[in-house]
Amino acid sequence: METLRNYLKSMFQNLPNTREVQRAQYELGQMMEDKYNELKSQGKSENEAIGIVISEFGNLEDLAVDLGIDNYLHPEQQAIHNKRNITQDEAERFIADKQKSGIMIGLGVLLCIMCSTPYIILDSIGSGGSVYGLIGLFGMLVIAIGLFVFDRVYMDKWSFLKSQACSMDFSTTDYVHHERENYRMTHAVLLTVGVMLCVLSFVPVAVMDELNMSDFLVDGVGSVIFMAMVAVGVFFFVVTGNRVSAYNTLLSVNERGTMGGSFVDSQKEQVHYDNKKLAAVMSVYWPTVTCIYLSWSFLTMDWHITWVVWVIASLVETFIKNMNREY
Amino acid sequence: MISISSDVIRGYNDTMILYLLLEKPSYGYEISKQIRSLSEEKYVIKETTLYSAFTRMEKNGYVESFSDEDLSNGKKRTYYRITEAGRAYYQEKCAEWNLTKEVVEKFIEGN
Repeated sequence: METLRNYLKSMFQNLPNTREVQRAQYELGQMMEDKYNELKSQGKSENEAIGIVISEFGNLEDLAVDLGIDNYLHPEQQAIHNKRNITQDEAERFIADKQKSGIMIGLGVLLCIMCSTPYIILDSIGSGGSVYGLIGLFGMLVIAIGLFVFDRVYMDKWSFLKSQACSMDFSTTDYVHHERENYRMTHAVLLTVGVMLCVLSFVPVAVMDELNMSDFLVDGVGSVIFMAMVAVGVFFFVVTGNRVSAYNTLLSVNERGTMGGSFVDSQKEQVHYDNKKLAAVMSVYWPTVTCIYLSWSFLTMDWHITWVVWVIASLVETFIKNMNREY
Repeated sequence: MISISSDVIRGYNDTMILYLLLEKPSYGYEISKQIRSLSEEKYVIKETTLYSAFTRMEKNGYVESFSDEDLSNGKKRTYYRITEAGRAYYQEKCAEWNLTKEVVEKFIEGN
């Protein structure tokens, strides 16, 4: 029966999601099911029953005029059929790549947040170490920027998902939907841990200060622990956020206006917006953030506070991405 | 093996469906089953053809659909019932067929 359901769904996938089409799909599904059940009760095997039902089903040409779907059945007149089909294998690889990408970006952001720690440590144990501190700082930033650039190039192969009209069949959509549902718990846990780390990040410093520990411990080690907790928290946000965004991207591939857009209930509306302007802005986003961070830090020497740039920047990035998904 | 020409039969799908509905309201699969058995398996109507006929005849006011529970298994189904206009149309199609048959048979060898 599952095979028949998939057969019917993929047949209707690119048709407009109208009441007539929905009803046709439902009614035809009923007829198929009735026939299938009867064949099975007559002792036919699963495969025989499916074969007979499909061979006697007919084709959508018979319905074209009644459903007003003529245009959709004759692809030469319509761009709608020139869609890039996404296979299950591709969907799996995309999710895996997004996961890797999340880890790379997450590590990059982590390094950015942590980059002032060598300087702070060396500074807190006395003078003279600041040159090495600066080397450490730039070293970490260079690695981070390297990660960002590498990630951009690495993920470039998937850019067609945004720039091209794509479609995904029912069983793949169903697969992604289930993956997403299964991941929900992990996502919640990682987010919670991330938030807790950020919220509790000041606690070690406060405790150390309360215990009247030495300047080295409070200003040096304390600040490092503080930043490390925030950095790890943000790392979790980025990693898990990327994974979820992989699912959402795939699930929004089928347009809402077609039957394919209603395969599973976690599919979201996706307008294929003109993404070029935003893409241009976003391509210089992280380098700009890096500039802001460095300028601010060197102008004020307030290294203990300037790291918030990274946290704000990654929040803003998520915000921009989400805003764009909605409209 | 000779099979039925879909071009010829197409004009009479409505007639067959209406004939079956004269007796009592019915639903998709039941009608297709009856067509198969009454035609002694010589004609199997395709699901899409059947559904297309339903929607067209509903639009023309020959049949009405309603939702009801199947008494045998309690499942919700869409049933179709024939209207007065449908009965009149059926009579018309019967007369048309008799005439068609009369004319064509004059040209068939062995009659």
